[in-house]
Amino acid sequence: MPESDISIVIGGPQGGGIDTSATMIGRAFAYSGMNVISVREFHSNIKGRHSYVHLRARKDVPRSLKFPADLLVALDPDTIFEHFEDVGKGTKIIYDSSFENSDLNQARMIMRDTSKKIKNHLETGGYPLTVKGMLEAMKARGGIPIAVSFDGIISEVIKDGTNARYYNTLGAAITLSIVGIPEEFIIESIKYVFGSKEKVISPNIEVVKSAYRFSSSKSFASTPTEKVNRIPKLMLTGNDGAALGKLMGGLRFQTYYPITPASDESSAIEEHQAMEWIGGESSSLEKGGVTVVQTEDEISAITMACGAALTGSRSATATSGPGFSLMAEAISFAGMDEIPVVVTLYQRGGPSTGLPTRNSQSDLLFALNTGHGEFPRIVISSGDVEECIYDAMKALNYAQRYQLPVIHLIDKNLANTTQLVDSVDAKKVKVEGPAIAKSGPDFKRYDLNTKNGISKTGYFGRDIFWMTGDEHDELGHVTEDPDMRDSQMEKRFRKMETADREIPVEDKAEIIGDKKAETTLVTWGSQKGVAQDVAQMFAKKGVKIKILYLKMFEPFPSDFVLEVLSKSKTVIDLESNMLGQAAQVIRMKTGFKIENQIVKYNGRHITEDELYEGIEKIMSGKTKKVVLRNGA
Amino acid sequence: MAHNFRSDVAIDWCPGCGDFGIITGITQAITEMELKPEEVAVVSGIGCSGKTPHYLNIAGIHTLHGRSIPFAVGVKLSNPGLKVLVTSGDGDMLSIGAGHFVAEGRRNTGLTVILYDNEVYGLTKGQAAPTMGLGMQTKSLTKPNIFGKINPIALALASGYTFVARGFSFDTKQLKEIIKKALAHDGTALIDVLQPCPTYNNINTMEWYRKRVYKLEDDKGWNPTITKENEAEAIDKYQKAYVKSLEWEERIPTGIFYENKTIPSFTKRIAGFVPSYLSNPPAKQQVSDSNGFTIVDPVKTFKDKLVESA
Ligand SMILES: Cc1ncc(C[n+]2csc(CCOP(=O)(O)OP(=O)(O)O)c2C)c(N)n1
Ligand code: SF4
Ligand SMILES: [Mg+2]
Repeated sequence: MPESDISIVIGGPQGGGIDTSATMIGRAFAYSGMNVISVREFHSNIKGRHSYVHLRARKDVPRSLKFPADLLVALDPDTIFEHFEDVGKGTKIIYDSSFENSDLNQARMIMRDTSKKIKNHLETGGYPLTVKGMLEAMKARGGIPIAVSFDGIISEVIKDGTNARYYNTLGAAITLSIVGIPEEFIIESIKYVFGSKEKVISPNIEVVKSAYRFSSSKSFASTPTEKVNRIPKLMLTGNDGAALGKLMGGLRFQTYYPITPASDESSAIEEHQAMEWIGGESSSLEKGGVTVVQTEDEISAITMACGAALTGSRSATATSGPGFSLMAEAISFAGMDEIPVVVTLYQRGGPSTGLPTRNSQSDLLFALNTGHGEFPRIVISSGDVEECIYDAMKALNYAQRYQLPVIHLIDKNLANTTQLVDSVDAKKVKVEGPAIAKSGPDFKRYDLNTKNGISKTGYFGRDIFWMTGDEHDELGHVTEDPDMRDSQMEKRFRKMETADREIPVEDKAEIIGDKKAETTLVTWGSQKGVAQDVAQMFAKKGVKIKILYLKMFEPFPSDFVLEVLSKSKTVIDLESNMLGQAAQVIRMKTGFKIENQIVKYNGRHITEDELYEGIEKIMSGKTKKVVLRNGA
Repeated sequence: MAHNFRSDVAIDWCPGCGDFGIITGITQAITEMELKPEEVAVVSGIGCSGKTPHYLNIAGIHTLHGRSIPFAVGVKLSNPGLKVLVTSGDGDMLSIGAGHFVAEGRRNTGLTVILYDNEVYGLTKGQAAPTMGLGMQTKSLTKPNIFGKINPIALALASGYTFVARGFSFDTKQLKEIIKKALAHDGTALIDVLQPCPTYNNINTMEWYRKRVYKLEDDKGWNPTITKENEAEAIDKYQKAYVKSLEWEERIPTGIFYENKTIPSFTKRIAGFVPSYLSNPPAKQQVSDSNGFTIVDPVKTFKDKLVESA
């Protein structure tokens, strides 16, 4: 197994603590000095259905995940069945020996369609419909089953019959011992996970030790990785990143209605709502706090955030497709009334409830067009955890500076990706406030006397002004006068010209890789990482690919994009949706038609191996369209 | 000179509309309470009623149909020092915005909600509002009303409103007093205002109401207020309020049905989690230093996510 690049799938029943195992594994790698990335895949279910974490550890920074896994760790029989396609040559499959006789027909928690597929696979190969049969099938693909007696190992140290409580720890410990991560690091993880619960920590440590004894007796354990100097890093998900960025960016009011995969952001804000000041000037500041409100629905979430914004708070909400649909009317209001509000839109599989816990990038066109009528808005997107932090800050800035709704797109894959962030630069993005009017009786909230379209703002609690969803005059009173209508429409849209002019192109789109490469891969969102890893794989083979990575869709960097694309020989669009929505935006804004397309819409994250193959297929000229289908 | 709480915008309600009395009640109440104009904000939905903010000389938002309550909650929670009035129609608050109306009972944010109860959708030409009784046929309807009615007083009680009252738009003296008490109440108040719409509702006219309304406070034994001291009577007072809310056809009670001072407002509840909330609420907080950089320490704030050096 290549110690410099380890890929792991650890699976078990939802609610069975897979996340805990993954945290233990991820942290232990990090403590040992390696870099990790992981993604959580789960059903819309609380207990029982298959969930797994796909993780990769590398000395340098891994940006994507790949199959086949080097290690498949099964905490239940379903995991063996579900991941039959993720095993390849040399994949070690760790499972409890008691699973062997589990029958596929008894595996009720496997979705019917999936079960049929697995059955078909086993029958075609002439294998029995049991875990044992599947392990045989996996062996034929080059997999190496490693039977472990979970209860055997745990019973060595746990005598009170509560073995099942320790399966997660055991799974993590066996995994780490096999890849040669020293025991001390998982012990550190255990202490982190269980915090102050001393009584829980010690038996878990005993289980870890027992697992390591077992592994060394079987001599699975490969040589320990060399120790690397550790620097303080934050281990964050995309949800955490956005939450942190919002706090740093001055957010003081957040609303939400629970929805996957958005609510974890609001929970993270609430958990850290007290905030710690940075020191220096701020040491003498009164303590603050973010107000987080769980509302009765998403209409309330967006309108409440708007109400708060009128008093001068930097305010935001976070939601996903179904909730965002409900927000449409209020987003139009925010556009009309020039309310600075941020909506962090976590994209998941649609339409309708769709694939509620799975990845998607199918709301781009919707975000660009949400709400009736024509109004200015800014739409941005993030591609990795670090970007989530700074983009969340920028989103709040844009909302304030241009007095409009900002939609910040984050896909589910990124929301649930865990990465290490080296050091957060508190000075990278300034906290920018709006232009504020002088208080007084003549205050005009919608003052037309402005070149850049931005009327100076005021606040409820300080100023008297009016707002209405109707077209309005400079004071904010209803008007239907045709000239005032034209003037206000034109003023509002002047802000977009200003924003387009002021926001540097680097914040809108980026070329990653060799600028002179003739092949351009166009992408956005969480494919940023996998696109880079794959481009590097091609580079090693002497094939140059550059990435045109899009970050801002409104205002759109049309000139820049057209220039890059028209100078490329081959252009490939890569997206996690069916229609190639970013490519449609490019066509609409620049007239450039991208000929080749790689898309994925089964809700699973795009892996390095499948993208590599997909690009190869296109570059060979065999096809112009590839649909990626990896993932359990 | 005292602030004139009426703005200079010309009112375009129909002559004889009950809405005029409500505006009078509001301006008199805030004038008598000597509130500073910047201390009050008014939030409405859409409808004839929704135009109210433009006629008042205080900060005002004329929001979306049905959404006045959540907008108002945002204003209040972000700046809890403000007095926030909500002025919306029965269609607005009990139909399209009914979810928010009910949810506000759970919050008890501290809003003064004035329900313009004319039993019709005024601005869309007289369709039946949720407060219109089953089988009623106003001149604007081609058929008798096929829906039953919502009782706003009972709904407010069931939802958890801590101040529930009814006024009559042609008795501005009583209405003004109720609004003053509601504004002083630390919690959300519902004031159901009987508001004749002479244009579309030819049944519940000013005269119709005049014959029926009576004042709860005229009964010297009527005491709707629950305090820490008389908490033992809470259920009894709640029941009495509910029974009163059922009176309609013959005699219609006005005045305060229910007032509960023992339930903490939402702002107090937030202060339980964020101790600095009331003195340093979201709207007042500094967010950057003098150079424009963040004042939030990322690592100290998210220290639980730190992977420390060995
Ligand atoms: C989402 C939406 N649907 C429909 C309308 C049209 N509409 C405007 S006012 C109104 C009814 C208003 O009735 P009510 O709330 O009772 O106010 P009133 O005019 O009686 O004061 C409706 C349905 C709208 N503005 N928005
Ligand atoms: S339609 Fe009715 S409610 Fe609306 S202004 Fe006219 S009288 Fe008043
Ligand atoms: Mg009405």
